[in-house]
Amino acid sequence: MTAVLDRLATKRALLWALLLGVVAAYAFPFLYLMLTSFKTPSDALAVPPTILPKVWSLENFAKALDTPGVTAAFINSITTAVLSTVISLVLAVPAAYAVSRFGTVSGRVFIVVALVTRMVPPVAIGVPLIGMMKTLGLTDTPVGTAIAHTTISLPLSIWLMVSFFEAVPAELEDAAKVDGCSRMGALIRVVLPVVSGGVAVTAIFAFLASWNEFLFALLLTAVKAQTVPILIANFQTQYGLQWGPMTAMATLYSIPVILLTLVLQRRIVAGLTLGAVKG
Amino acid sequence: MNRTTPGLSRRSFLQITGATGLAAAVTACGAGGSSSGGSSGSLTVLCESGGHAELTKIAAAFKKETGHAVTFVELPYDGLYNRLNSELSTGSVSFDLAAVDAIWLPTFADAFQSLDDLFTADVTADLFPSLVDGAQIKGKYVGMPAWTNAEILFYRKDLFEDASEKAAFRKKHGYELAPPSSWQQFQDTAAFFTRGTKLYGTDVKGAVETEWLAHVLQAGSPGVVLDDSGNVIIDNAQHVAALKFYSDLNNRLKVSPPGAAQLDWAGAQNLFSQGKTAMMRFWAHAYPLIPKDSPVHGKVGVAPMIAGSAGIGAIPGPFYLSIPNAGKNNDLAKQFIKFAYDNNKLAIQSSLGLAARKSAYSSYASKPGYEHFKALLTTLDGPATKSRPASPKWQQIVDTVLVPTIQKSLTQGADHAALLATARQEVEKLVK
Repeated sequence: MTAVLDRLATKRALLWALLLGVVAAYAFPFLYLMLTSFKTPSDALAVPPTILPKVWSLENFAKALDTPGVTAAFINSITTAVLSTVISLVLAVPAAYAVSRFGTVSGRVFIVVALVTRMVPPVAIGVPLIGMMKTLGLTDTPVGTAIAHTTISLPLSIWLMVSFFEAVPAELEDAAKVDGCSRMGALIRVVLPVVSGGVAVTAIFAFLASWNEFLFALLLTAVKAQTVPILIANFQTQYGLQWGPMTAMATLYSIPVILLTLVLQRRIVAGLTLGAVKG
Repeated sequence: MNRTTPGLSRRSFLQITGATGLAAAVTACGAGGSSSGGSSGSLTVLCESGGHAELTKIAAAFKKETGHAVTFVELPYDGLYNRLNSELSTGSVSFDLAAVDAIWLPTFADAFQSLDDLFTADVTADLFPSLVDGAQIKGKYVGMPAWTNAEILFYRKDLFEDASEKAAFRKKHGYELAPPSSWQQFQDTAAFFTRGTKLYGTDVKGAVETEWLAHVLQAGSPGVVLDDSGNVIIDNAQHVAALKFYSDLNNRLKVSPPGAAQLDWAGAQNLFSQGKTAMMRFWAHAYPLIPKDSPVHGKVGVAPMIAGSAGIGAIPGPFYLSIPNAGKNNDLAKQFIKFAYDNNKLAIQSSLGLAARKSAYSSYASKPGYEHFKALLTTLDGPATKSRPASPKWQQIVDTVLVPTIQKSLTQGADHAALLATARQEVEKLVK
């Protein structure tokens, strides 16, 4: 008996070690980025590199925040990401619901086509998007950038929502209809609250897709709607790479999404396990 | 029928549409202030983030004198190319003028307006010949030099001026220790200062091509990779000699830190700033930018780029101001370009401190803190200094042929002539 318990304890310890190793491998680059943001200019470039700063300094944060347009860029990033998330959910939820509930061939073709659009390199649609946004008067606006970002997040959002909707028993809706709900009413009042965790997961993915997007922001923004990823990239110039301020800006830019993930953590976990009870 | 699950009530509908309308109104314009692109009273300038500072003071002076505001759209270097490429190819441009890297001018020349009337005899006389050559594509001036740069020699003054080092060097080589001016002196000095892993004589950059190409010109080649008629000359004797000189520093003399094949500009600059190399061939702008907490701060001297049998030679790194044909403010844009040329000296007061006119550099060359200008002037006026070829395929040649060839040459036993013969075939395929 003791031997079995020992073996189980060893197995668990090994699994924990493996888990910690994987987490460390994923977390280390970000941790190193954060630590670099607290280093002095020379320390940030030390050969060989050091993990911890020799002297902890906030100089890089001061420089990063002193960059012209930094406040506007943060506001633009938040506005664009929120808009893109809203557009994505508004389009993905009914689309996914229809595909999931009606089960038509055209619906299945639709989601496959939606997936295929994910396979087109973004740069290929960048040039047409410039022309379209120019015609619509949406270049250099958060709305235009958000619409462009939605082209990235929408297919994934539809696919995610389809899987969440399919995990909800049709009997729930039938019961709602018996109680007098229309189909839309059943969706809004019964189904959506059940898949709220899935909606949170989809929202997070859509938000992150827009928050971190670089290419469309580069092509479609100029002065008014420039987002933070462009500002971060601007620290690498023809004349040198400003590691310190770049890492400081990247650290600051990570904070909102980390907070968002922490706030929505419970719902995300609930959403991720939603499909597990499908039966 | 008692409707228990109605659609939206009128109040809810009005609330939602009202909120959406307000959000749309708020977000329709970004938070970055007003963009002036396209309006007749102001100018929008597309530029690389590093070069933005070069034009800031000029723009302020332009506004003061003419009342026309200048808005800058700053982009990362690669992003600037992508933006130019996409907008110029669609003919729908969001900018009035752009600060363009010299190597991109041939690619976009057809989309840029002629500036021939700005290139008077007085103007060309005050510009370095290589810059004037680079501005002219297919017989048309499509860009006005805004600022330029070139590689010069950085060295550790504390080492070069040390009495014991001087004596040891004289004893070993039979001549005085001084900033090297020839290939042989450079090799001697680099070998002399290589002290195990603590200090290396210099660096060898395998991830960039410009430095090797400078040595090609120093060796007397009529051009780099292509001659003036567009013929491929990458395997001529001068290219081979320069590649041998370059790779010998790493392979035979071992005077450079390990990892040469992957070393780029930032890495080389970092090694020098950390005190790991005694000499560095690098772009002149870096002289005033050595970090204050660097162990070599205040101990750095500068000299012109080294010379080969054809004399001092370097590849200039200019940026040009160009006006898109599809621009809406072309007259005002041209007025700005002329103003920028006339007031080129203002660019020197920027963080990079670079200009394009000889007179602008000369006016600062004797001032403290601008010691690198003398070396830069000598290098840019060097007999072998020459622009890169005006080929729209240049960037592709660099990425797919030149850098891989240099990297292969940095392995022991590399056959330089064979490498360049292969490179010739690859370049010919690209330019055909």
